[in-house]
Amino acid sequence: MSKQQNSSANPALTDDGPIRRFLNATEIDTRMIGMIVALFAIWCAFDIASGILRGNFGGLLGGSFLTPRNLWTLLNQTASIAVMTTGMVLIIVMRQIDLSVGSMLSLVAVAGGVLQVYQLGPSLGVGHPAIWVLAIIAILALGTAIGAFNGYLTAYAQIPSFIVTLGGLIAYSGVAFLLAKGETVAPMDKTFKVLGGTIPASWIGPFWTWTLSFAACALIVFAIVNGRRQRVRFKFPLRPVWAEVTLAALGSIAVLGAAAVVNSYAWPPKLAENYAKENNITIPPGVEDKAGDAICMAGDAVVRCLEGLTLGTGYAAPVLIAFAIGAIMSFIATRTRFGRYVYAVGGNPEAANLAGINTRWLTVKVFALMGFLVGVSAIISSARLDAATNALGALNELYVIAAAVIGGTSLAGGVGTIYGAILGALLMQSIQSGMGLLNLPAAFQNIVVGTVLVIAVWLDQIYRRNVK
Amino acid sequence: MSNIPLIEMRDISIAFGGIKAVDHASVDLYPGEVVGLLGHNGAGKSTLIKVLSGAYKRDAGQIFIDGKEVAINNPRDAKALGIETIYQTLALADNVDAAANLYLGRELRTPFGTLDDVAMEAATRKVMHRLNPNFRRFKEPVIKLSGGQRQSVAIARAIHFNARILIMDEPTAALGPQETAQVGELIKQLKSEGIGIFLISHDLHDVFDLADRLTVMKNGKVVGSARTSDVDHDGVLGMIIAGKCPPGAIPGPGALQSAA
Amino acid sequence: MTRKFLTLAAGALMLGMSSMSALAAGKTIAVSWKTFQEERWKTDEAAIKAVVEAAGNTYVSTDAQGSAQKQAADIEGLISQKVDVIMVVAFDSDAILPSFKAASDAGVKMLSYDVLVEDPNALYVTFDNVGVGRIIAQEIQKVKPEGNYAFIKGDKGDPNATFLFQGMMEVLKEALDSGKVKNVCETFTDGWKPDNAQKNMEQCLTSTGNKVDAVLAENDGMASGVVAALEAQGMVGIPVGGQDGDLAAINRVALGTQTVSVWKNARELGKVAAEAANAIADGTDPTKIAGVGKFSGGAKGVEVNAILLAPTPITKANVSAAIDAGHITKDQACAGVAAGAVPGC
Ligand SMILES: Nc1ncnc2c1ncn2[C@@H]1O[C@H](COP(=O)(O)OP(=O)(O)OP(=O)(O)O)[C@@H](O)[C@H]1O
Ligand SMILES: [Mg+2]
Repeated sequence: MSKQQNSSANPALTDDGPIRRFLNATEIDTRMIGMIVALFAIWCAFDIASGILRGNFGGLLGGSFLTPRNLWTLLNQTASIAVMTTGMVLIIVMRQIDLSVGSMLSLVAVAGGVLQVYQLGPSLGVGHPAIWVLAIIAILALGTAIGAFNGYLTAYAQIPSFIVTLGGLIAYSGVAFLLAKGETVAPMDKTFKVLGGTIPASWIGPFWTWTLSFAACALIVFAIVNGRRQRVRFKFPLRPVWAEVTLAALGSIAVLGAAAVVNSYAWPPKLAENYAKENNITIPPGVEDKAGDAICMAGDAVVRCLEGLTLGTGYAAPVLIAFAIGAIMSFIATRTRFGRYVYAVGGNPEAANLAGINTRWLTVKVFALMGFLVGVSAIISSARLDAATNALGALNELYVIAAAVIGGTSLAGGVGTIYGAILGALLMQSIQSGMGLLNLPAAFQNIVVGTVLVIAVWLDQIYRRNVK
Repeated sequence: MSNIPLIEMRDISIAFGGIKAVDHASVDLYPGEVVGLLGHNGAGKSTLIKVLSGAYKRDAGQIFIDGKEVAINNPRDAKALGIETIYQTLALADNVDAAANLYLGRELRTPFGTLDDVAMEAATRKVMHRLNPNFRRFKEPVIKLSGGQRQSVAIARAIHFNARILIMDEPTAALGPQETAQVGELIKQLKSEGIGIFLISHDLHDVFDLADRLTVMKNGKVVGSARTSDVDHDGVLGMIIAGKCPPGAIPGPGALQSAA
Repeated sequence: MTRKFLTLAAGALMLGMSSMSALAAGKTIAVSWKTFQEERWKTDEAAIKAVVEAAGNTYVSTDAQGSAQKQAADIEGLISQKVDVIMVVAFDSDAILPSFKAASDAGVKMLSYDVLVEDPNALYVTFDNVGVGRIIAQEIQKVKPEGNYAFIKGDKGDPNATFLFQGMMEVLKEALDSGKVKNVCETFTDGWKPDNAQKNMEQCLTSTGNKVDAVLAENDGMASGVVAALEAQGMVGIPVGGQDGDLAAINRVALGTQTVSVWKNARELGKVAAEAANAIADGTDPTKIAGVGKFSGGAKGVEVNAILLAPTPITKANVSAAIDAGHITKDQACAGVAAGAVPGC
């Protein structure tokens, strides 16, 4: 890479430093770099702090945060909010707000739970393969319908979305309570649970993790090459080749690095032991070592050890779903007419209208999309909890909105990125999980998360003022 | 010029609350003709043409194109009829770039149905070059452009889609002398292509220079219309300020009656 | 806070009472409900009505529909109908005090049901709420007397979360002091939310390297989150405690993924209260009723006569109790349990 950098050190002498030149050439979003740096800083801080307060569990810096296990868990914990925040970006970009997502999640999750546990279970027989399919369809359809209803009231009845969804926030949780009769609806269908990421069946394992990751790398390279070809076709100025190569390399390193981390999280020993027994896999003999992730036979007993049988978990279903949603939503936001209109309306609703965009119908569609994503999150969270309750989504709206805002979505409308919001969700969950590792009182978590939200927006203001 | 007007707006009225912004106004426009719309601030010029562009729904009146009545209920209807508009407020989506604005509402798409941004940018570069050769900032959201550059983008959008009827609401208000001259040339060229143009302007010189006819409005009513060759500056000023019709003009409902 | 009352086993209480209720006849016993919005009050009502009518008395009721004013008016109306006893589930326990006084002045006997009203002339019938925490801890300690305990507490803003924890600590103090039991994680859970409890449990397991031997959750919803977190680590089966008698929790108890769910049997409460009401209607002095003690744990510290019912711990051994009481169907309780594996299934 350094060779290519040298070749680009062209005659033109500029007083820009190498970093600035690099950023200019690659056109990387500097705000995103800031967020990633902040994220890593927080991770490191938690790893050190957890090491001091709670002991070393193999973290990179002597704690328990920067371990494959914690990072793997972190991704799973983030998935539900991350999915919803991608929709919230579009809502906020369009100068609307949806305060009802949390209550809506409770409602559709409970509806899905009631359908599985009280309706389909008894009538089709528990575990019938149609149950999970019907439940998923019902949850997604109900979410979409409620979202569309919010959108209809906003766009056609001209009630401000703040009011419509504030009403929804209150009302939908009431409906959820009635549906669940205040009870926890459980347990979920066995196959449905696969979407929650807590059972081995929902871990795709190292092979598929690597396969998908390499496919993602190929996609990155393809996108860069294709973009370049297009620009060549119209004789547009091109990015220097070294910058393109660097971008492809950075993207691929990130993808493969993440894959390596999740693959190195081994199945919990007890589960690995069960799996080995069920599938007649021989567990190799070895020496017991409590610090190891592998299992081995010490005489007749299965024990933990450094060398032995390990099963990598790879990505869990919720994380894959979140990645897929993130990719699709990014695509929708930047590559489709629908996304373009959403941003245009956010930039100037009147102009969009005058350009012939049916802004009302667009509003309905965006809210319906939000509802669909709430449905996806409802599936993830109820499958993960293996239960549905009317408290499941409570307060989620705040985290979803906060994630979008931390991720750079402007409440003034017109500005926001999907990947930024997902990073925002990850950042917030990192703080919560980190505080959880330190076993600090929940009150501290709230203080820190709230503070981070305000600081993030403040830094964003400074950034926007200083970067043209 | 033919006898059937390209556009005829007949007895158009529209009120906002109690204000009759446009009150039984009629104007017409022939192919290859430039008609200047004049009047003091708040006279109703913009409102009248917004009825034509579909931005406002009229309360009463009819619109004819080529002698046939048409229904214009929203901006899409107007665009489908070949009516393009440069709004006084420009009506640009501030947060997207020039190409996205140019193609807003009729994006070019790849065979896969995705946005063909590169093709749109290429076309935008071409049109913008014609209007504002110094323009380079294709990658930036238009809010970061100067007022003149933004106006160029709005003009580019209006002329890019083979309009038959062009509405220009104070198109040169923010432009420098060179760009203004360029727009003047452009109007002449479009006119020669047979396009009909409504030109709203407060600059009498421009109007006399570019327009074939002019219509003056006052308090939502048409004071009168005239060929630019039949009236002079002072006569038109009298129409605008006092509502008095000079001899060369055909008086409308808004003309000062007692002065006759 | 000193507690001057006796907590009696519900069974003994009912025995003592049934003989008395046989004497009462022809009296009218009224219940002023605060609301019928919530499902559970229907259960209470059915139990009260059955006991009252079995004794040959008449049951009447009013529904305040969640309004303090309506409840005051309701009680006024009942007084003028000359009922003998009014049992009140107060919507606003302070605002209702004048109504209690007016009733007592008119010679009507008052009972506060489930919600404490600090009127010294009214008998208070409720579950022993602090006891719930104690029972969870006792049941867990029975199966896991030594080891690392994790505490998943409720919302930090809810005093009940603290009461429950106090109860647990009373029981565990000795074991904690001697080091037999170690408190390895202790977190409040925002909004008592099961998914937050799940995340807290995941972080607890990560930060202790799975060295957790038992989990005390302050309700069943959170216990469901705990169990889901344990499942992901293949640790299902370690003792987990909760409370509420959630249907899903009773099923987990039968399945063995949760050790205990402490259950406040609304039928039991209704039965005991109705029997007390029958007795009072007959002129029995409240202090003479079996199980009555003094209680002064309210906000104002007023001493009242009270019956504090001990909640029932539902464990694998007595899942059938909940089924027999009609709280849960056998199908629901025993879903996924092999027939005969658990008593009652
Ligand atoms: N959307 C609206 N709502 C209410 N009143 C309006 C609206 N649009 C225009 N008006 C009113 O209608 C009248 C005519 O306004 P219009 O914008 O057409 O004037 P104009 O002739 O274009 O003036 P200018 O030369 O300042 O552009 C004004 O009194 C204005 O206040
Ligand atoms: Mg105007």
